Amino acid sequence: MKIKTFVIGLTLCSGYAAASVAPSGKQLMEIIPQPAQLCVSCHGVEGQGVEPLGPRLAGLSKQYISTQLQHFQAGVRQNATMMPMAMTLQGDGIEQVANYFSAKPANEVKPVIRGEQVVFNDDTARLAYQGDWSRGLPACVTCHGPSGLGGGLFPRLAGQQASYIKTQLLAWQSGTRKGDVDGMMANVANKLTAAEVDALANYFANLK
Amino acid sequence: MKYSAMLLLAAMGSLTVQAQAESDPLQERPDKQAPLPSFPKIPDQTYLTPRPLSAIPEGAFGDKVRLGYQLFVNTQQLRDKYVGNELNCTNCHMDAGRKANASPLWGAYFAYPAYRKKDNKVSSFEERIQGCFNYSMNGKAPASASPELVALSAYAYWLGMGGLMDEANISGPVPELSDAELVKGAKREDFPLPEILAKAMTVEQRANLPGRGYPEIPKPEQAYSPERGKEVYVAHCQTCHSVDGQGQAIAGVYALPPLWGPKSYNWGAGMHRVNTAAFFIHENMPFGKSMQLTNQQAWDVAAYINSHERPQDPRSKGDVKQAQEKYHNDSDYYGVEVDGKVLGTESYPIFPKKS
Repeated sequence: MKIKTFVIGLTLCSGYAAASVAPSGKQLMEIIPQPAQLCVSCHGVEGQGVEPLGPRLAGLSKQYISTQLQHFQAGVRQNATMMPMAMTLQGDGIEQVANYFSAKPANEVKPVIRGEQVVFNDDTARLAYQGDWSRGLPACVTCHGPSGLGGGLFPRLAGQQASYIKTQLLAWQSGTRKGDVDGMMANVANKLTAAEVDALANYFANLK
Repeated sequence: MKYSAMLLLAAMGSLTVQAQAESDPLQERPDKQAPLPSFPKIPDQTYLTPRPLSAIPEGAFGDKVRLGYQLFVNTQQLRDKYVGNELNCTNCHMDAGRKANASPLWGAYFAYPAYRKKDNKVSSFEERIQGCFNYSMNGKAPASASPELVALSAYAYWLGMGGLMDEANISGPVPELSDAELVKGAKREDFPLPEILAKAMTVEQRANLPGRGYPEIPKPEQAYSPERGKEVYVAHCQTCHSVDGQGQAIAGVYALPPLWGPKSYNWGAGMHRVNTAAFFIHENMPFGKSMQLTNQQAWDVAAYINSHERPQDPRSKGDVKQAQEKYHNDSDYYGVEVDGKVLGTESYPIFPKKS
């Protein structure tokens, strides 16, 4: 009970209070399914994310959110905040949370289809769209989709917080994030230089 | 040193091809999809490296090369015009046709026109690409000398020629060719080449550049099995290609392609053969090569993928048995009974409109 009050208070302070007609705490409790109420303090009522507390969830698929919560529970994905948070989800809690946030509208990004642009003057855009096969690096958009819009098990990168994308690429490198089949994402992340990690994080965060 | 080693290997490759052609009746099938010659991969092999795309020159010729790249990577822009499935050329010819051992375009360009003894028939490079549209793309090929075939030929030529010139330390832009020359392909004595290159390698050597096709792997220890292949598929493939093999579309684009069913290659495509698919998979999958499948796993999963129904073989006259005898029985499942159904009898339409 105490934690709920705390959460709602935080929520109202951060972000949502700026909306023109902010629902009252009681109304929010009715809108948000109970298992997701804990999430909104760091991820926002609309899943819009609260940097640097929590990444954007709006635009991620139901399948991806569920899988990641299971990974936190199993310790496949290690994070001091998210592991205990995920443990609070019992029964169909994961499903409710995934349903709630995956239904939130994603930020609008115009998809640029691979192959439209031939020559990239920007090394980062080239890496995202054409990869660097001399290092065995595939293009990011192959799995994450045009403009990194994401789908299924592949998270949306477009419009995600740069700081979050960066910490995740570093987590793949250090092994605190796992759960990719055959180590596919770790394999990619490990081939990226520190400068490329920064550049890619900024590139996808700022796609319009 | 590097260059001469490459020549030697190319020469060895050509011997292998000739030996195969004599013993292998498959080379003489009446279609444009004869199996690619495959050689085992050689450790520490060096491969032709195409120039970066930023080196494509300005002007009309460069525009054709750029269009070729765009068509190759986003082949779906030709959907319903020439393409009848959800694939893009780059799905099987990785890194936009530049990657060695993923049937690179630069390898193919110097291997056509390909002569066939039996019917004394020659397939030009553009005819080979027409085969890709009719079979791999389950579509209807653009006409000879069409802008699309010229562009794809120009892109293939530019990749190969630039790479060969760099190997021979010839600087400057890739010489421009007329459309009529481009679509023929480069495996001919009268193909225009800088003099140094013409002297450096024979036509046959250029036709067998290391890295061409998909590398051959040994036959499996146990006969390949779709049942075991399914386990491989579930463990290593379905995250990207989906539980039902139908790939995954994001913003309408199947970057992760469907492997069987109505949206994939048809029963006439080279990839429907278990051996071709096994060679491709062993070398190129899982995407980015974070791990290596065993030979047995590659054969088994190729058998699993290719023992599902797909669009009809365009060469079939309506009788699966007849088409099987004429074009199949060739390390493939066309006309073979799987799970109580003869594959090919419930195949999907050829060149359907996008629904």
